[in-house]
Amino acid sequence: MSMVACGSTSITANRIEHAIAPTFANLVRVQMTLLELPPLAAADFAVQASCRRLPAGDTAGSGEWTCTITWKDLNRRIVRDTYELFVTSDGCYSATASGEAIGGPTLKNEGGRDVRNLLYAFEGCFDTT
Amino acid sequence: MSITGVRAVVGVECMKLAAQIKTQLVLGLCIVGPFLFAAAIHMQSSLPTDTLFGRAVKESGFAVSLVVLGFAALWVVPVLASVVGGDLFASEDRHNTWKMLLTRSRSRADVFVGKLIVALGFSFVAIALLAVSSIAAGIFIIGPGSLIDLSGIVRPPDEAWRRVTLAWMSILPAAFTFTALAVVLSVVSRSSIVGIGLPVVAGLTMQLVAMVDGPDLIRRLLITSGFEAWHGLLAAPLFYQPLLRGTIVCAAYFVICIAIAYDRLRRRDVAG
Repeated sequence: MSMVACGSTSITANRIEHAIAPTFANLVRVQMTLLELPPLAAADFAVQASCRRLPAGDTAGSGEWTCTITWKDLNRRIVRDTYELFVTSDGCYSATASGEAIGGPTLKNEGGRDVRNLLYAFEGCFDTT
Repeated sequence: MSITGVRAVVGVECMKLAAQIKTQLVLGLCIVGPFLFAAAIHMQSSLPTDTLFGRAVKESGFAVSLVVLGFAALWVVPVLASVVGGDLFASEDRHNTWKMLLTRSRSRADVFVGKLIVALGFSFVAIALLAVSSIAAGIFIIGPGSLIDLSGIVRPPDEAWRRVTLAWMSILPAAFTFTALAVVLSVVSRSSIVGIGLPVVAGLTMQLVAMVDGPDLIRRLLITSGFEAWHGLLAAPLFYQPLLRGTIVCAAYFVICIAIAYDRLRRRDVAG
C-alpha cells in the first residue's frame, strides 16, 4: 500500500479544480476593478471548474489539462469558458483561454484605457502534499 | 575547538576571499544582473510568460524579483552556493598548504568550522545581494506596484515586499545544503573542479528529475524541492508544508554531508 502511495502523483483533477476555481473568481473580481465596473465579491461569481487530463485516459499527473470554468457574470448569466492548462509536477499551472469568449490579451476599461486581460492567461500553484 | 581559533580562521579566509577576483565578480554579477534584467524587460515588449509572474513584470517590480528568484533557483543558486564551498578546502590541496595549516596552533576542528562558516556566509551574502538587488531593480525600474499573487489576490506593496522577502529566505536551506555538498565533495576529491562542478551538475540533474512526472516521493527527497517551496508563500491560503518538508530534507542532507566532510578531514594524514 505504501509503495503505491509513494509512487502516485498528487496532480489530480480534484486538486486542480479546487485551485483554479477560487483563483479565477479572485481574478474576475480584480478584472472588474481594472475595468472600472461595479465591484462584486469573488463568491458572487459562483465559479466552478471541471478539469480533465489530456490525452484522455490519464486521470492524474503533470502535463496538459483542459478545464471548463462555469461562472456567473455581472448580469447573473451563466458563462462557460474553456482553458488549456499546463501543470508542472510542483503543483503550478499556466492557464490560457481557448476561443475568443474571454477576449484578447488586453481589454479597454470604461475610460478607454488599455488594461491587461487577467483572465486571458494566468497562473497559479496549489499544495501537492 | 575554540571560538578564538574559529574566529581567526574565518578572518583569514574572509581576507583571502575578498582578494579574489572570482569572488568580486560573482558578487558583482549578483548586484548588476537583476538591474540588467529589469532594464531589458522595461525596454522590450515581449514578456517571460513561461515563468511564474512573468506576465506581471511590467506592472509590479515585485514580480521582477520573483521571476529572478524562479530563474535563479533553477540555474544560478547551485553555482552561487558551490563556488566558494567547493574551493575552500580543495585550494589547500592545490597549493599543498594543509601541512602548514594543520600543524599550527589551530585545531582541525577550528579550521573545518571556520572554513564552513565562510562557505555558508558567502552563499548567504550572494543570495541576499541577489534578493535585495532584484527587489531594488524591480522597484526603481518598473515601480512598486501591487502584486497579484498565485491565487489571484492583489497584494499591496508593503505586503508584497514582505512575501517576496520571505520567498527569497525560503531558498536558503536548499542553498546551504548545496554548499555542504560542495564542501564534502571538495574535501573527499581534493579537487575544486569536482567541488564546484559536481554540485552544479547534481542541481541541474535534480531539476530535470523534478520536471519529469515521476513519483512524488522521489521529487520530495531532492534538495531542489527546497527551491519550489516559496510558491506556498504567495498563495491564499498560505501553504507551508513544502517549505517544512523541504527544510527537513535539506537538513538531513546537510548533516550527512558535513559529518562525512569533517570525518574525512579529521582522519587525513598530512604528515607524509
